[in-house]
Amino acid sequence: MAAATKLYKKSLGFFAQIQQYRSNANYTAGASIRTRNELFNEEQRRQREAVGRIDKIEVRYLGLPEDVTLVMNSHISTPYNCAQHLSEGHCQRAVLALLDGSVPWDVHRPLQESCTLQLLNFNVSEPHVVNKAFWRTCSFMLGAALQRVFKEEAKLQLHSFPSPNIKSGSFVHDIVLGAQNWQPTKAEMRAISAEMVKLAAQDLRIERLEVDQELAKEMFKESHYKSEQLPSIAQQNQSRVTLYRLGEHIDISRGPMVASTRFLGKCTVSTAHKLTDEGPSNAFYRIQGVALPSGFMLNHFAYGLLEQRSQKLNSARLPNEPFEDQRQMQLS
Amino acid sequence: MLRTVICDLARLRLSGSASPAAVLITQVREKGHLSRPRLRNPYWFIRQQRTRTDDLVTGENRTFIKEVVHDTYGVPALIKGTQTYEQKQLIKTTEAPTDAEPWTPAVRRCGLIARKIGQYPLWLKNGERVRTTLLQVVDNHVIKYIPPEEYRPTQRPNVHHLNKYGCVLVGAECTNPALLTKEYCGLFRDSGVMPKKNLARFIVSPQAALAAGTPLNVGHFRVGEFVDVRGKTVDHGFQGVVKRHGFKGMPASHGVTKTHRRAGNIGGGGEKGRVWPGTKMPGHMGNRWRIIKGLRIWRINTKYNVMWVQGSAVPGSTNGLVYIYDTILPLRKPKDAPPFPTLYDNADANEPDDIWYDQVHSFKEESISYKPE
Repeated sequence: MAAATKLYKKSLGFFAQIQQYRSNANYTAGASIRTRNELFNEEQRRQREAVGRIDKIEVRYLGLPEDVTLVMNSHISTPYNCAQHLSEGHCQRAVLALLDGSVPWDVHRPLQESCTLQLLNFNVSEPHVVNKAFWRTCSFMLGAALQRVFKEEAKLQLHSFPSPNIKSGSFVHDIVLGAQNWQPTKAEMRAISAEMVKLAAQDLRIERLEVDQELAKEMFKESHYKSEQLPSIAQQNQSRVTLYRLGEHIDISRGPMVASTRFLGKCTVSTAHKLTDEGPSNAFYRIQGVALPSGFMLNHFAYGLLEQRSQKLNSARLPNEPFEDQRQMQLS
Repeated sequence: MLRTVICDLARLRLSGSASPAAVLITQVREKGHLSRPRLRNPYWFIRQQRTRTDDLVTGENRTFIKEVVHDTYGVPALIKGTQTYEQKQLIKTTEAPTDAEPWTPAVRRCGLIARKIGQYPLWLKNGERVRTTLLQVVDNHVIKYIPPEEYRPTQRPNVHHLNKYGCVLVGAECTNPALLTKEYCGLFRDSGVMPKKNLARFIVSPQAALAAGTPLNVGHFRVGEFVDVRGKTVDHGFQGVVKRHGFKGMPASHGVTKTHRRAGNIGGGGEKGRVWPGTKMPGHMGNRWRIIKGLRIWRINTKYNVMWVQGSAVPGSTNGLVYIYDTILPLRKPKDAPPFPTLYDNADANEPDDIWYDQVHSFKEESISYKPE
């Protein structure tokens, strides 16, 4: 019960933040985001209260300083709670959790059964899973940053972001703007990058929630493109939709995300490619960027090469193309 | 320099001209202002060296980055005696720009950045031995030209009517850009020149403007002409009056007690009975910028970009940086046009490497020649 009240109080705190931030913005856009967050909080609270009788699970932690067995609460305790039993350092450094040596798990997602747990960071010997999660989180954060940066007149609608492909050299977010001939200037790109850095500085926790298709439809009813995507997403996931929240921004994504925005280090939103026109006045744009995790130092020359590479059009699935094989999705 | 002044005056006296100024002129060279504590860097300051961190880059990527540097700037090569990069991205032209205005004596030309690499004697044809200092022009390229309308320096140089002159920014000695800060490399972005270790500004007339990327070689000056050389003097540290100001000191023996290298009296009495400001006393000596004027160039080597200048009094230690300018001494200014705005030459095979002044005896010539009977 104490955990539930902790959750509830935290979301109230976020609420106050949202109110303050959106005070100058357009009322209607703010209202839709507010209702979405309210529904999210409601569902979170409902799921916590629906746990009922608390079962105990044994979580075998493998790693430094030593392997220990922790007795945790099923459907309530998260890998972060396990880290809290270890040390503050473990909490700060945990980026992603690995269950049973193979299943990547969000750090703030409740554990369900007895398992072995490893807390991953960016310096592990096999960082592929962590890297993918990081790239995915960068796309997610880019959506949040774009939402904050664009004015209401731009008529921004977030479409989606494709599965992460680090070898492509950039993370991507596809959007629809109410302008068909937008040429991004360097200053604008720098402003978006600055917004990403601001999000990172705020150290916002990334929360996960699995909801029913109907609730997801209710939450995203104002967004035309999300409503379109929801049926096919739910179909692949037993009519459940996975949502992630970062501050006030909520989006749909499948895979694990990193624990918090503070793990974003150097970040550059490099370019926006126009894909196609959409209707009489809108157009699809692909926003691309490159980032390094925090703590990784790189000289400006090498980072400049990464930036140059990220300006090339990313060859990931275009938003107006139909969804490919289920297998393709699962592979990435 | 001081000795030259005294010798010149001595010569004047001996030559019999009734010069009333038969007085020893000693130069008092001080800062001329009080020390203001510098609490923070000025707003225009750009740090050059980046803080070295362990870039966690794989070996493969390290070689890739090196390849990119070589592709952008050319492979490292020994050019004119300095280890530098090929710089194939700079367009090589051998002709001067067609709209180059003719030289006039009032026009100010660009200068060069060089390193003092040593000293060597040269012999003139009349048998006289001259001490010379070797200055090597190290990989100079023009980075930028700022016209007089735009040039508003924060640290104003001591030049009359500065608003008539522009500024040529010259760089020396290429470095790997990965070791420098991004802001410093930004200075070289527009010109396309590889980032340089040392920069210098030269105040020039608009007629002597140079395009960004122009290489500057020692042929910019000619043998027999006079140059001013500016360098930072050797840091002697805290020195006493004997070394610092040339005081005679006192005898080593004959009853002299505890006073052999001291200053002695430091002032008189009377109404102004105090130690006057500027009184010569022990203190820090050296590590100052000094310009030595009117040095003749005896010899030039175009293969290694070296010039032999008169004397051994060029400020600084060996391998120190110096800046070379056309002389401001009025009687030593050139009467005919020097290479203007600079020497645009192609590496000709028939052009001799060594150019000797007329009076200088070339080592490669025969010293004695006689006609066989």
